[in-house]
Amino acid sequence: MQATTYMKRRRDGRISLNSGNQVQHVMQMTILILTILTIVAFLFFDYTGLNFKKALVETAHNLQAMFLEPALSHFSWSEAFYQVGITLGLAFLATILGAIISFFLALAAAANLSKEWLSKTVRIVLAFVRAVPTVLWVLIFAIAAGLGSEAAVLGMLLHSIAYLVKAFSEAFEEVDKGIIEALRATGASWWHIVVHAILPSTFTYLTSWTFLRFEINFGVAVAMGAAAGAGGIGFELFMASGFYFDLREVGMITYMILLIAIILEVMSTFLKNHYFPETVKN
Amino acid sequence: MPLLTVEQLGKSYNTHTKVLRNVNFEVEAGEFVSIIGPSGAGKSTLLRCINRMVDIDEGAVIFNGADVGMLNKKELRTLRTDIGMVFQHYNLVPRLSVIENVLHGRFGYKTTLQGIMGRFTEAEKERAFYLLEKLGIAEHAYKRCNQLSGGQQQRVGIARALIQEPKIVLCDEPIASLDPKASTIIMDHLKSITVELGITCIVNLHQVEVARDYSDRIIGLREGQVVFDEMSYRLTEQRTDILYGTKSKPVTQVRELLTV
Ligand SMILES: Nc1ncnc2c1ncn2[C@@H]1O[C@H](COP(=O)(O)OP(=O)(O)OP(=O)(O)O)[C@@H](O)[C@H]1O
Ligand SMILES: [Mg+2]
Repeated sequence: MQATTYMKRRRDGRISLNSGNQVQHVMQMTILILTILTIVAFLFFDYTGLNFKKALVETAHNLQAMFLEPALSHFSWSEAFYQVGITLGLAFLATILGAIISFFLALAAAANLSKEWLSKTVRIVLAFVRAVPTVLWVLIFAIAAGLGSEAAVLGMLLHSIAYLVKAFSEAFEEVDKGIIEALRATGASWWHIVVHAILPSTFTYLTSWTFLRFEINFGVAVAMGAAAGAGGIGFELFMASGFYFDLREVGMITYMILLIAIILEVMSTFLKNHYFPETVKN
Repeated sequence: MPLLTVEQLGKSYNTHTKVLRNVNFEVEAGEFVSIIGPSGAGKSTLLRCINRMVDIDEGAVIFNGADVGMLNKKELRTLRTDIGMVFQHYNLVPRLSVIENVLHGRFGYKTTLQGIMGRFTEAEKERAFYLLEKLGIAEHAYKRCNQLSGGQQQRVGIARALIQEPKIVLCDEPIASLDPKASTIIMDHLKSITVELGITCIVNLHQVEVARDYSDRIIGLREGQVVFDEMSYRLTEQRTDILYGTKSKPVTQVRELLTV
């Protein structure tokens, strides 16, 4: 009965398993308040002129046209593939450039490879970059570059860098510090350690993260086509829905995007299983 | 002149605790010295002061005529090529092959570009295979390191240290993760380094028996101070007990444990 100085009890006297700190309390309160607000919001909506039955039927009809009768009417199949290619190209460019730049920045951001002030500076700056959504970055770049693919790639690039540097630098920090110590003790220089110890130890993680970011960037590139006029399949989707009100075409394009997303997913799983068995096992 | 002189060495990681206090000893070329002492006595820290993997706070370490604490970055790299290091957890790059890991020991001699490109001379590669042969693991040369047993990995670690052509090899608990048979193999190899190649060895050990069997001289460290520094046969059981504080107050300790 003596060990109770460290034991925490709830108000009802039962032993608590959480440390019961401030953070947890704040989290619980936040979730509670959000739940209440959500429910209350429904009571304040303007329901005049809403015929529930009619709305349901029409929604169902639209969905049917979209997903059960998809068709292309304003452009051809070859055009469609070309547009998908453009979207993939945007995503690819932003990802590859981003991965290369991120590699070097992540070296500066990793606490075990860099000076403390440098690592902190890079982290803080990139945290800000990450906090701003990609779309906003694209629009910011559009001020200088004009709306279009350049602004889209720059914006996606910036956000990819912020994301990949975090992922990469965390992978670098996972490298056993004994390995780094052993190489330092042989007289190896910093670049030797990076190329011959850090890179081989983390390469599979870096590729996995890059591919994951490519998947994300594909989705973003679709949205950028519409929002920033970057072209590609996203722009056609925007035209079909907002300009021609052609629900069948919207459906078709959605299916195409879905197909690409599935192919990317299958590819990433395949890559993981066949080339990086250890990342999956770990 | 001794190969290594440690003079009034003092080290602390933070302001309130001193890990090493006024440590003095000398090591002659070709000696095999063991450092023993309880956990936290500062054995690892002492080894790392010798090749300045940690900074020296007080006193000096003179290795091969150079004041280790005074060297600039480039001189330090050169110094480290003369000092091999072997670790408890081997510290190999697990995804690379055995031979690649051995050749890592040559980076100290390379320019940045040569090292990045991984350019090793034929002579270096031959030397690597020769060392693996001697250590009895040449057949595993192209295997990944994580496919090897602990004892085999430690031999790769020794090969990496030896290919540096060092004047001294520092070993931080080289057998702490190995079974008795693998331990014997490793200790025999370390001993033969001194006997056959004339390379000095300083080995941190937890096994007093092993230290007595293999070393010429034993240094006992307790709470950061040298409390024993003599030929190994002089380490009697009584002095071991003082060093580790084992039998000094056994009866009361047991009682304390029982009453708690
Ligand atoms: N990087 C570090 N930062 C702060 N304190 C450290 C650091 N490394 C070691 N210490 C402290 O220095 C003291 C001596 O550690 P050291 O590792 O040298 O002991 P040791 O004799 O090698 O112990 P063991 O036999 O357990 O390996 C310990 O109290 C440890 O907590
Ligand atoms: Mg230690």
